[in-house]
Amino acid sequence: MKKIEAIIKPFKLDDIKEGLAGLGVKGLTVTEVKGFGRQRGHREVYRGAEYQVDFVSKVKIEVVLESGLVDDAVRMIQEKARTGQIGDGKIFILAVEQVIRIRTGETGHEAV
Amino acid sequence: MRLFDAFKTRGRTQYPAPDRDHPPSRRSEHGHMAAPIEELRQSRDRLFSRFTKGEILETFLEEYTELLDQYFRRSLQDSKTGHRLFATKRPFALVALGSYGRKELCCHSDIDVMVLFKDKIPSTASALAEELLYPLWDLGFELGYAIRDIRDCLTLSNMDFMVFTSLLDARFIGGESPLYLNLLGNITEKVITKKSLTFRKWIEQSTSGRMDAFGDASYLLEPHLKEGIGGLRDYHNMLWLARVFFDAAVPRDLEVMGALSHAEYEDLRKNLRLIWLARCHLHLLSGRENDRLLFEYQGRIAQRLGYRDRPDFLAVEHFLGELHASMASVKSLQRAFLSSYPPKTESARKARPEMKSVVPGLRLINNEIDFIKPTDILSRPVLLLEIFEKSAKLGFPLSLEAKRVVREFAHLIDDGFRASKDTVQMFLDIINLPQAFDILDQMFEYGLLEAFLPEFRDIKNRIQFDAYHVFPVGRHALQTVRFLKGLSEEKDLLLLDILHDIANPEPLFLAALFHDIGKKGKNHAVRGVGITAQILKRFGYDRDLQKEILFLVRYHLLLVETATRRDLNDEKAVIQNARVIGNVTRLKMLYLLTWADSRATGPKAWNEWIANLVQELFFKVLHVLEKGEMATPRAKKKVNKTLFQVRRLLAGKMEPSDLDRLLEPMSPRYLLETPARNICHHLDILAGMEKIPEDPASTPFHMETKQKTAEESWEVTVSSKDRPGLFSDIAGTLALNNINILSAHIYTWRNGTIVDVFRVTDPLDPIDAERIWEKTRKELKDVFAGRLILSQRLEQKSQPSILKRKKAVSRPPKVRIDNVSSDFFTLIEVFADDYVGLLYDITRSLFLNGANIVIAKIATKVDQVADIFYIQDLEGQKVLGEDHLEKIKEALLSAVGPRPAHGG
Repeated sequence: MKKIEAIIKPFKLDDIKEGLAGLGVKGLTVTEVKGFGRQRGHREVYRGAEYQVDFVSKVKIEVVLESGLVDDAVRMIQEKARTGQIGDGKIFILAVEQVIRIRTGETGHEAV
Repeated sequence: MRLFDAFKTRGRTQYPAPDRDHPPSRRSEHGHMAAPIEELRQSRDRLFSRFTKGEILETFLEEYTELLDQYFRRSLQDSKTGHRLFATKRPFALVALGSYGRKELCCHSDIDVMVLFKDKIPSTASALAEELLYPLWDLGFELGYAIRDIRDCLTLSNMDFMVFTSLLDARFIGGESPLYLNLLGNITEKVITKKSLTFRKWIEQSTSGRMDAFGDASYLLEPHLKEGIGGLRDYHNMLWLARVFFDAAVPRDLEVMGALSHAEYEDLRKNLRLIWLARCHLHLLSGRENDRLLFEYQGRIAQRLGYRDRPDFLAVEHFLGELHASMASVKSLQRAFLSSYPPKTESARKARPEMKSVVPGLRLINNEIDFIKPTDILSRPVLLLEIFEKSAKLGFPLSLEAKRVVREFAHLIDDGFRASKDTVQMFLDIINLPQAFDILDQMFEYGLLEAFLPEFRDIKNRIQFDAYHVFPVGRHALQTVRFLKGLSEEKDLLLLDILHDIANPEPLFLAALFHDIGKKGKNHAVRGVGITAQILKRFGYDRDLQKEILFLVRYHLLLVETATRRDLNDEKAVIQNARVIGNVTRLKMLYLLTWADSRATGPKAWNEWIANLVQELFFKVLHVLEKGEMATPRAKKKVNKTLFQVRRLLAGKMEPSDLDRLLEPMSPRYLLETPARNICHHLDILAGMEKIPEDPASTPFHMETKQKTAEESWEVTVSSKDRPGLFSDIAGTLALNNINILSAHIYTWRNGTIVDVFRVTDPLDPIDAERIWEKTRKELKDVFAGRLILSQRLEQKSQPSILKRKKAVSRPPKVRIDNVSSDFFTLIEVFADDYVGLLYDITRSLFLNGANIVIAKIATKVDQVADIFYIQDLEGQKVLGEDHLEKIKEALLSAVGPRPAHGG
């Protein structure tokens, strides 16, 4: 099992959500996040006053899936999230040790 | 006095005095003896199920109370301890307190009872309580009970007004009635007469405590039906005050004794009925005493109360709308009631009140504003608005009487009033005041706002059933005004700065009030424009300013929608917004409206995350409007015209939706600068390019040439897919063939398509131009495919290139970097003497230094070129590093500067 964490542009969320559903992904977690990478925050000057924007608003998607699905999912996210402009985001892939469904106590593949 | 007081309850049942040897018992329907508790269980279940089915609504509370009364009376008769107590001259009374005392029992209300003794409490009293109460506990009732003597009651009442209020609700159930009457008399004499003013203050404090803890139920989306402001507690407060100040015994006394008018009392009953019904269903659905009307229950309660979904709104929205209206009405009645008690004493009334005339028709009495003569309103209707304005300006509330007058006169407001110059001007004065929100809020509460703006009536209590909106639409509109008026208290100083920049913010405030006025189904912004136009027309409002307001209403969601649904790094999205908005003042107003609207919607509609995105969009649009040539009205018109022509030219040749898909990625500059006919032609080229991939490995490309005889020049169009260095490849290939570039427009579309249009000099061999173009095309193809290394070939032919150089006085080249004009690109301007291959040198130098050319405008004037390149780094961002910029500049200067004579 792997966990994919993708930081994406907010307006791409729906596309990616649909894409993942199309791959048979049954659940995902979405968070509104702020941060910076190559696309830094910036400073604006208005009427002589400076407004520093340190972080850029992004969306983080987290999804845990069978290892066999990871390549397709990553390819799909990359394809859909790409605009070619700055700030398209990043994808992280992490190993997942265990999954437990709280209601039933099922573990492992059953619980994904 | 008989052992057990025989009492009548509305003549229904009369219990005979019990005979100790033959305790009375009633037979159940089946002839079996039924314990009182069993009978209670059965009759309660029947009652609840009838209620759930909607069979009894009006009398539920009383019937349920009655069931419990019956239980207690029968249990008393069966109670051995009870009989013993009476036999030993320890009489007692069983008294209902709190909501049970008021006969307002909801399905899972606590049942509060008190066993009252005269003085000493006998030791067997708790056994009595056990006999009476244990069965109820076993059945799952929530019980509160107390065993007190009269002195306990008085002491506790004086110490704790909570106990006092529960005793104000006291109702006799059974036992020794004189004891109960004795208690009432004592409470009046020893508590009420002494504590009435402190009690009133306590009510006021507990009301504000409720506001803090439970909020204002008249607009919260999950209102607390009991403790929320506008909830049942407000009504109880009125009852208690009425009891304390004029000895009201039953609710009807509120009207009978003149505290409320007949209409007010009828309204109150109607409103309470809805709150009670909702509360009973809420109790049943949650299976416990829950008074917070949570989302999860609202839909089912609406259905049970008979609300049904309609095409334009949901049952639950209708239900909540009416519930809010009811609670608002209870709230406002309670406020008025509270402020009129204690009534002025006779001497205070006779004493000369401090009176001051405020304006003709209005005066100040005891720090309250009042009409001098209500009939003045007939000759000067504007007083109805003015009294609110003066109240806010001077900081004094309206008197109770004035509020009544306003309420009554609100019905008389007609079209004449609404369109009168005086009233409209007064309304506009109000909306410009810092206290505008408070005034509008008051006007809203007293029905004046909807009387003056009937358009408001439809949205007043409209709920949107989602987790997003915290207020009904009407209140949301007022809150939007409030946020705008409270800008100076915001941490985000930018907002206030922007407001100060707006010379006349009146349109903004009006738009805030009207922005959701079309909220009756889909497309509310568009619908709102029609309704707002109607209002403004009635106002006789300035035509130009009307346009501003209508614009704001129409587009109040534009910024949020763009910020969350479009790529803000895509210049096109920003330019489209800039074109819709059109000028800086509008943008500023729209930004403030967006902010206030979102804030007034609720915490989920606005947070720092969204704020960030919207602010970014605001600045980008601002920059486009301030600096760019892209969003001028002329540009907007031209693009619209071009698009219209393209659509007409291609009409019938392809589906409009397919065409839209093709037009979508085109860059704004391309659309602005390219004639419609050429766009159609380019689309043809691209379609051809995609159809026949000659060599899938190589870059697809198309090149065509056209002679412009009049100008002694050729137009060369090259289409391809973008990659870094592509432009320099083209420029180099042209230079290789001694073709001098006079001007060039290069465009990169969002999907990576490039369309470059060059105007070039005649080829050296004008006789055989076609042959040269053929060669150029072939070479360019080879360059794209990597079969031809340009730099080497150009090196080899450097000799003629030097010969070709003009001998005119050479001026040192200049390079200017502009990182301010655009949020998306770094602009690099190059001024240099022209020569064949110059453009190749420039573009190659840019390519080698990690700059991707997205747009270029090449122009030659006499022998000087002035080229502008819009570049991004390889990440697709404008170049921000100082070092990087310096490196690019150095490289450019050395690339186009005087060359060392090489080769001789």
